[in-house]
Amino acid sequence: MVLWRTVRAVPGWILALALGLVLLVLPWAGLDFSASRQIQLTLILALVVSGLNLSLGYAGELALGQAAMYASGAYIAGLLSKAGHTDILVQLLVAGLGALAVGVVTGIPGLRLGSWSLAMTSFFLVLLVPDVLAIFPRATGGRNGLSGIQSPTLFGTLLDGTGFYLVISVVAILWFAVLRNIVTSRHGIALRVLKQSPVLAASTGISVFRMKLLAYALGAIPAGLAGALFANLDLYVSPEAFSFTFATTVLSASILGGSASVYGALVGAAVMQFGPNQSSGFQQYALVFTGVFLVVGGVLLTGGLARVCRVLVTRLDRMAQPEVNTVATGTGPAPNIPPYKGATLRIRDVSKAFGGNQALKDVSLEALPGTVTALIGPNGSGKTTLLNMVCGFYRTDSGEITLDGAPLHGLTSDGVARAGVARTFQTPNIPAGVTVLEAVASGRYTGHRTSVLAAVLRTPRFRRVRHEDLREAERMLALVGLDHLRDTEAVSLPLGMRRLLEVARALIDAPGVLLLDEAASGLDEHEVERLASLIRQIRDAGGTVVLVEHNFRLVLALADDIAVLAHGQLITTGPPEAIERDPRVLSEYLGVDPAPTAAHTSTDRMTGAATSGENT
Amino acid sequence: MTTQQTDEPILRVRNLGTGYGDLRVVWDVSFDVWPGRLTVLLGRNGAGKTTTLRAVSGLNKATAGSVELGGRDITKAAAHTRVRQGMAYVQEGKRVFHAQTVEQNLLLGGYTRRLKRTELRQEAERMYELFPVLGDKRSLLAGTMSGGQQQMLAIAQAMMAGPRLLMLDEPSGGLAPVIVNEVMERVGLLKETGIGILLVEQAVEASIAVADHVTVLDMGRVVLASAADDLDNLQDAYFGRTPAQGSASRDS
Amino acid sequence: MTLIWGGLALGAVYALVAVCYNIVFISSKTFNFAQAQLIMVGAFVAYTGLVTWKLSVPLVMLLAVASVMALAAIEERLAVRPVKDPHNILVTTLGVSILLNGATQLVWGTQPLNVPFFGGNDVLELFGGQIYPVEIALVLVAVVLVWALTRLSRRFLVGLALLGMSEDREAAMLRGVNVRRLAFGAFAFSGAVAGLLGMFVGPKTFAVATLGASLALKGFVVLAIGGFGSMPGTLVGGLVVGLAEALAARYLGGEYANITVFVILITILLVRPAGLFVRVRERTV
Repeated sequence: MVLWRTVRAVPGWILALALGLVLLVLPWAGLDFSASRQIQLTLILALVVSGLNLSLGYAGELALGQAAMYASGAYIAGLLSKAGHTDILVQLLVAGLGALAVGVVTGIPGLRLGSWSLAMTSFFLVLLVPDVLAIFPRATGGRNGLSGIQSPTLFGTLLDGTGFYLVISVVAILWFAVLRNIVTSRHGIALRVLKQSPVLAASTGISVFRMKLLAYALGAIPAGLAGALFANLDLYVSPEAFSFTFATTVLSASILGGSASVYGALVGAAVMQFGPNQSSGFQQYALVFTGVFLVVGGVLLTGGLARVCRVLVTRLDRMAQPEVNTVATGTGPAPNIPPYKGATLRIRDVSKAFGGNQALKDVSLEALPGTVTALIGPNGSGKTTLLNMVCGFYRTDSGEITLDGAPLHGLTSDGVARAGVARTFQTPNIPAGVTVLEAVASGRYTGHRTSVLAAVLRTPRFRRVRHEDLREAERMLALVGLDHLRDTEAVSLPLGMRRLLEVARALIDAPGVLLLDEAASGLDEHEVERLASLIRQIRDAGGTVVLVEHNFRLVLALADDIAVLAHGQLITTGPPEAIERDPRVLSEYLGVDPAPTAAHTSTDRMTGAATSGENT
Repeated sequence: MTTQQTDEPILRVRNLGTGYGDLRVVWDVSFDVWPGRLTVLLGRNGAGKTTTLRAVSGLNKATAGSVELGGRDITKAAAHTRVRQGMAYVQEGKRVFHAQTVEQNLLLGGYTRRLKRTELRQEAERMYELFPVLGDKRSLLAGTMSGGQQQMLAIAQAMMAGPRLLMLDEPSGGLAPVIVNEVMERVGLLKETGIGILLVEQAVEASIAVADHVTVLDMGRVVLASAADDLDNLQDAYFGRTPAQGSASRDS
Repeated sequence: MTLIWGGLALGAVYALVAVCYNIVFISSKTFNFAQAQLIMVGAFVAYTGLVTWKLSVPLVMLLAVASVMALAAIEERLAVRPVKDPHNILVTTLGVSILLNGATQLVWGTQPLNVPFFGGNDVLELFGGQIYPVEIALVLVAVVLVWALTRLSRRFLVGLALLGMSEDREAAMLRGVNVRRLAFGAFAFSGAVAGLLGMFVGPKTFAVATLGASLALKGFVVLAIGGFGSMPGTLVGGLVVGLAEALAARYLGGEYANITVFVILITILLVRPAGLFVRVRERTV
């Protein structure tokens, strides 16, 4: 266990780097030709797989067109070489950019579709490769393949076998370093947010389409690089290398290795390369073997080998440090929220109909900074519809919604979030595979921007923003009393803590207005108390809070203003003391009129109705 | 209201606990339903009423307690086998099959009964008598009907299974008051056929008018259980505090 | 006209694959990637029965239906039901399809086998075009199958239960439908249909181990054009894809056939993301 703790104390990237170094010195350790070739093919496959992982594992899109980008990279490199540009660096650069272009162009229509349609159109793209090549037979050699590629050079020097081995290894190491830098950065977390739920992503201000396109297009780069390397490995490219079979190999490697992991691509590629592909001497058995392999792997591994490793690591961690505390909430006194200026949310005469059903009719509401406004009403009264309209998920039929005078209606849902509307969800919506701290920090993603390139290069600006992200997130965690759990996986928290985490995430960028959707449901009394004091703190700091809540007691205790909806209309608004006594509110909730005389007559009417029912 | 009363409940729920994943919604709920009588479950939304019904029907797993149907422990039975044993559940939101006609919806309701086609049609005819609005629309797609008609269809569809226990979740939800009365009237009629009815409602007054027993839930626990004609503390149970003025309701 | 007939027959083949996909999709909202391979196995079984063993046509039909149905049932039990993550079903059924590809190569070799059509092999003249009996049969089978499935699913309780389950799984359970068993039944049934289809598809395309991959994808395209879950959609989708492919190959050149289909697919999906016969429901949060 001491040994394990020492191992764990070493940052993960050092282990990866060490593996990379081993890879680089292997040629001098008596690596024979066939093993060397296997390693090179594995690395090339791993590059393509890691591109797929970006879209499938991180952004959650089943986009399988990497084989087409791989092909474009290979042909670009091959044609460059035939035209005399044999320098491998030039080829890699052009192939990478070419694949990126293919990714963007094919991604735009494909990503609009999503799910199965996307999977199929991207698979179809792979099937088109030989046809596209056949259309330009003179340039590409058509179905016969492209031959006559020159041996690659580096700065004018001809590369021998070992030299090219090193080139492939260095490219792979660099790409995985880049990938790691992206995935562990705020962009990687934003991708996981997107994968968890597009609604969540939009609610944190992320443009869903642009983020998907970013993942898909970025994933094209390693495929293009891999293509260029592949063309120079065999000095021959044929359409058969980019067939359906190759696409399925990539998909299988991705899923077996674990799509949502950086190095899973490498493991998956190695498994596929040294496993089924090895037995190519017996073509038919190879297919049977691959098939069985995929079935067994798919049944046994949810999340791939990477997940198995992660579970193992977590278990060993727990054995090594049994004292980790995941039960108690709160250490020490919660810090105060520094004063900030919330915005005025104004809803004026908003109406919405779904088909013939009038969900909301002329609803007006105002939420001021430094106050808590509660929205209550029975099921189906239109609370959720109103919330969704504020957040931009539904269009208003008429009326306007403004934040400090600036219109929100007409903005996209991510635009609304960027304008300063933050929310929590009825069912906590928290991305898988991130720590509590990262989940909270993701609330700052669109408010404080850095580019992907900055993340890859770890520029000073990126470091500064990341530092602020983490500092702010820690402050928020201390505020909600989860600071001792900062490195725990966020989704593993019990419900009450996940709700508090959502509040922290929504609050981190000092939103103009904070919408809490049933934040108290499912909490025990202690947790409700904690939530209530947190909401009071936000209000006292000057924030604008809107509560959509069932817990009547909490609403009465917290709200400055209560708006009551029924059948899509606002029946009354006022302070708790007035709402509590309002006969219409009681009648909406209870169906009874509290005035005794009225109760009598109406009960008589009802009983009469039931009696007449019996007589029919 | 004359009902044939027996002492053996058709449904006996004891110390039920359930929820969704690690979200525990229902903590300790017990109540009974008797043949020919109606028990209504009341409570504000979020109180755990629907979740209780889901656990009784087998859609959610009971994490504690037991459910007995006609003296038989069914706590662990699958949802579809409970239907065969005589439990019919009409979910909230009028979940009829929109892409099927009224008649097809009804026939599918008799899925578990292994009847000949002619017998099944006879059963459907009986439903048209019970719910005359459906009779005129038998070949219309269910999705094109109004909310109230869909609710009637949902109940009729459940009745096609020939249940001993009928559970209704907010049959009045989203319906105009006049229609609510009509639906409740039909529910009262069904009681006369001798089956036990478990009703979940937010329309308190309309449902108490047809109920024999009232159980009020709050925060996933029973806060009030009594006969329908002895309800002094209803508002208390609802808001968990002394009511601002007078008592809530006095049933006649 | 010969061209049109060829395109129609090809479209019918794709439509039939799509029908099989649909049966599984309606019951369990997943896809069986190995569906086209099941048809391929059906074609091979037909070859063995008719040519090698020289059995009578009804007997071969029975054999094909029974064996492919058994295969599908085994697939459901081993490669679909135990899988928890829906993404993985893609991998496992893909695994089954590769496995079937490999197994058929082991059993029947890699050479295309000519499956005789029991309705004869003489070319016929129809509306000024040449057509094989099997091509007429394919179009008829596609139309009749879609018609029959649509009719029967509304006529029998099991069919209603299946449709109900596809619309609202939970509501179907509450009507007493054992949804898991029904899903299994539908999977096996799609296998039985695939086995039967092998008798018709085989004579048109030859029984060859590479048949699966292209059928699988085109079947999918047909489904996407018509709309997932829509039976009439498969006929229209098949018509579009089959004719587009035949016409493009004739007038633009063979290499343009797939590209044309792809362009049509993308265009239709951009206009109607859920396909021609399925409407998108209003989004809820």
